[in-house]
Amino acid sequence: MAAFIARRILYSVVTLVILSGTIFLIVRLTGDPVLLMAEAGASTEDLARIRQQWGLDRSWAVQYVTFMQNALTGELGKSFNYRLPVSELYFQRLPNSLQLGLFATLISLLIGVPAGIVSAVKVNTWWDSIAKGVALLGLSIPGFWLGLVLILVFSVSLRWLPTSGAGDWRHVLMPAVALGWYFAASMLRLTRSSMLEVLGSEYIKLARLKGLPDVVVIAMHAFKNALIPVFTLAGVNLVVMVNAAVIIEVIFAWPGIGRLLYEGIFQRDFPLVQGVVILAGFMIVGINLVVDIAYAVIDPRIRLTR
Amino acid sequence: MIRVFTLALVLLAAVTAALPYVPSAAAAAKGKIVLAWHAGFASRWLDPQEHDGTATPDNFFWALHDGLVKNQGTKLFDHPALAEKFSIAADAKSATFTLRKGVKFHNGDPITAQDVKFSYESYRGAKADVFKNRTERVEIVDAGTIRFVFKEPFLDFGILFGTSNVAAPGWIVPEKYYKQVGPDAFKQKPIGAGPYKLVRQEPGVKVEMEAFDGYYRPVHTKELVMVAVPEAATRVAMLERGEADIIYNVPGELINKVKSMKGVTLAPVLSGSFFLEFVNFQDPKNPFRDTRVREAVSLAIDRRGMNQVESGGLGKVSGNWINDDVLYALDWPEFPRNVEKAKQLLREAGYPNGFDVDWVTPLPAFYSRGERVIAQLREVGIRGRLQTMERGIFFQKLRGGLKEFPGVQLILHGVRIAGSWSFWYEAYMKCGGSNSRDRICVKELDDKFDRYEKSVNPAERKKLAEEIQRAILENHYLVPVYRHAFVNAIGPKVAAQKWQDVFPTITTGYAYPWEDLKVRD
Repeated sequence: MAAFIARRILYSVVTLVILSGTIFLIVRLTGDPVLLMAEAGASTEDLARIRQQWGLDRSWAVQYVTFMQNALTGELGKSFNYRLPVSELYFQRLPNSLQLGLFATLISLLIGVPAGIVSAVKVNTWWDSIAKGVALLGLSIPGFWLGLVLILVFSVSLRWLPTSGAGDWRHVLMPAVALGWYFAASMLRLTRSSMLEVLGSEYIKLARLKGLPDVVVIAMHAFKNALIPVFTLAGVNLVVMVNAAVIIEVIFAWPGIGRLLYEGIFQRDFPLVQGVVILAGFMIVGINLVVDIAYAVIDPRIRLTR
Repeated sequence: MIRVFTLALVLLAAVTAALPYVPSAAAAAKGKIVLAWHAGFASRWLDPQEHDGTATPDNFFWALHDGLVKNQGTKLFDHPALAEKFSIAADAKSATFTLRKGVKFHNGDPITAQDVKFSYESYRGAKADVFKNRTERVEIVDAGTIRFVFKEPFLDFGILFGTSNVAAPGWIVPEKYYKQVGPDAFKQKPIGAGPYKLVRQEPGVKVEMEAFDGYYRPVHTKELVMVAVPEAATRVAMLERGEADIIYNVPGELINKVKSMKGVTLAPVLSGSFFLEFVNFQDPKNPFRDTRVREAVSLAIDRRGMNQVESGGLGKVSGNWINDDVLYALDWPEFPRNVEKAKQLLREAGYPNGFDVDWVTPLPAFYSRGERVIAQLREVGIRGRLQTMERGIFFQKLRGGLKEFPGVQLILHGVRIAGSWSFWYEAYMKCGGSNSRDRICVKELDDKFDRYEKSVNPAERKKLAEEIQRAILENHYLVPVYRHAFVNAIGPKVAAQKWQDVFPTITTGYAYPWEDLKVRD
C-alpha cells in the first residue's frame, strides 16, 4: 500500500512539473507583456526598464528555474496587473468561486442524477427520450447565451434577481444555473449509462428474483453503486467550475477565479496565468490522488495493478 | 515672439486662475452613483506615478488624486487645480506653480512643494524620459511655490504636464506615505488629494469611494462606486434595472435598445479617429506610391455609411485624421465619396482592372470596420483580404516596422491622443516614430517637423503644424475615415439636462470631473 501511494504521489509531482513547464511556455508564446503595460508610444529604453523590473530580460530557462524555486516555497510571483502576490489574488477570489462551483454542482446533481435514473429505469420510453433531449440541450446551449437569457428574464423583465456581481444567495442563483446546466447534461448521461450497467448486473437480477419491489431494488441496490462514478465526476467538475468558469463569470461579472484568469490572459499577466493554472492543476491532481488512494483502500485489486 | 507667447500664457493662467477655496464641500454631498465599466481594473491605475499614458487610468486619478493643472471641460491642459496659478518664463526655460492654500491629502497632511518635487522627480510613467531629459532641476521657492527649470526651452511642457491622459508627473502623491508603504502597497491603499477617497477595492472588480470633505471644490455625490462589468449586455441590463447609473461603451447593436429605455440618456462622446495607412507607399513597386491611387482609396470610402452602421450615426465624419481637440489641429472639410472618379483615377494611374492588396489590418477588435473598408474598396476594383490579430500582437507588429507588413498592405488605425497634434505626427507619421517606425517616411515633412520641434516661436510652430497637416491631407498620405463615438449611457438617477453635463471634458471619453456629478433630487 505504501509503495502504491508513493508511486501515485510521484506521478502527481511529475504531472505538476509537466504542467508548470507547459503553461510557462504557452504564456510566453502569446507575446511580450511589456507592450501592454507601457503606453503606445513608449521608448525602447522605457520598455527595457519595465522588462528588467519584472525580470523578463532574463532567459526563459532562468525565469523558469526562478519560478519553480519560488513555487516550491508557495510563492507564485506577483501579478503584473494588480501588483499583488498571485496566491493572495487567488485566495481572495476562491470563496466566490467555491460558492458558485458548489451551487452549480448542486444544481447539476439535482437535475442530472434524477433525470439519469429515470432515463435508465424507463429506458427506450418517452421518459428516456425527454431525458436525452434535456442532455442534448444542456450540451448544446452555449453558457453565454443561457446566461444572457436568464438576465433578461429574471432580472430585467421579472425583476426578481440582480443582474450581476456577488453578494447574497440571489446573486449566485443565475450564474449557478447557467454553469450547472451544462454539467447537468454530462451528469445525466453518466448516471444513465452507469445505472443501465448496474441494472443489467447479476446481483440486481437476483434481487428482482427474490421479489424485491422495484423501488427497493433501484434505491437500495442499484442507485448506490451507480453513483460512485457520478460523484467522482462531480468532484472533478467542481474543480473545473471553481477554476475555469470563465464565460459565466464574465457574463455575470462574478468576481471569481475564472474571470481572474480571463483578465490575466488578456493582459498577458504571466505570473497570474501561470499561478492560476498551477493551483487549478494542483487541485485536480490532488483530488485524483485522493480518489485513487480511496479506491485502492476499498478495492485491493487496484493497488496490485501496475 | 517668445515674450508674446509667454505673456499669453501668463494671461491665460491669470484668467483661468484658481477658483476660491470651498472647505468641507462633502458636507452637502448626497446619494450614490454606480458606474459600470467595460474593462477590468488594473491596480496600477490608482497610482499616477506609473501612468501608462493611455486614456483609462485618468478616470481613477481624477477621483482619488489631483494635479497641479489639468485638462478639464474645454481646457486642454491649463485648468488650475492644486495650483492656484502658474506661469511659464519668457524663454520657456522654467515654469513656476503656486499651490492653492489649505489643500490637503486624504489623511489630513497638507500638500507641500516638497510633495510636488517628489512626485515630479520620482515619476516613472509615460513620457517620464522626456521630463527627465529636459529638466535641469526642481526648485522649492517657498512652502507653496515650486519652479521647474529646464535645460533648454520646453514649449510643450504645459501641454504634456497638464494633460492627464498623456502623462502625470504633475499629479501629486504624498511623499511621506508613498515612501513609507512603497509603490505596490500604495496601489492597494492609495492616499491622494482628489475629490474622493478610497473606501475599499476588490482588485480588478470594484473600487468604492466616498466624498473627501477637505476637497477645495464642492463634491456633490457622497458615494462613487466603479464596477468592472466586461459584458456589454450585462451593463445595459444593470442600467435598465437601476443597478448602475452610468455605463461605458454601449456597442452598436445595443444602441437602439438603450435609446428605447425610459429616462436613459445616450452619451455619444466623440473619441478615436479611424484612418488608413498605406504601408511603405514610397516603394516604387507599391501601387499606393501614386497619389491618384491613394486619392482613389479616399474617394471609395463611404464615411457616412461607416459612421451610421458602426456608431449608429453618433460619430463624426471630419476631414482631418487628427482629432480637433488637440493643439494646432487643422480644421479640414469632409472628403467626398465618388466611386466613378475613383475608378477613373485608377485607370489613369494604370490600374484599369484594379489590383490586389495582400492584407487589410484593422485595429483589433474593430474587425467589422476593416470588412467594410474592404467591401468599399472592392467597388472600385481594389481587392483586399482581412487580417485579424490580437490587440497586443497588433501593437507588437506595428513596432516591428515594415518587416511585419510586407507587400501591399493597408492598416486601419483607430487612435485617440490628447494634447498636441505633434504627438499624433510623432506616433503615426514620422519616419522612425513610435508606431509608424519605417513604414512611412516623407523626408520633407519630417524636416519640417524637426523645425517645429526646435522652434520656440509659437506662431512659427503653428504655421509649420498646419503646413504639415495640409500636406498629409492633400497628398492622401493618410486617409481619414471617421471619428467614432464612444457611446455611454446615463441613467435617470444622475442629474443632467444633457449628456454633456456628465461628460464635459472634451479631451476624454470619460465622465470626469467626478465632483461635478449630481444625483437627482
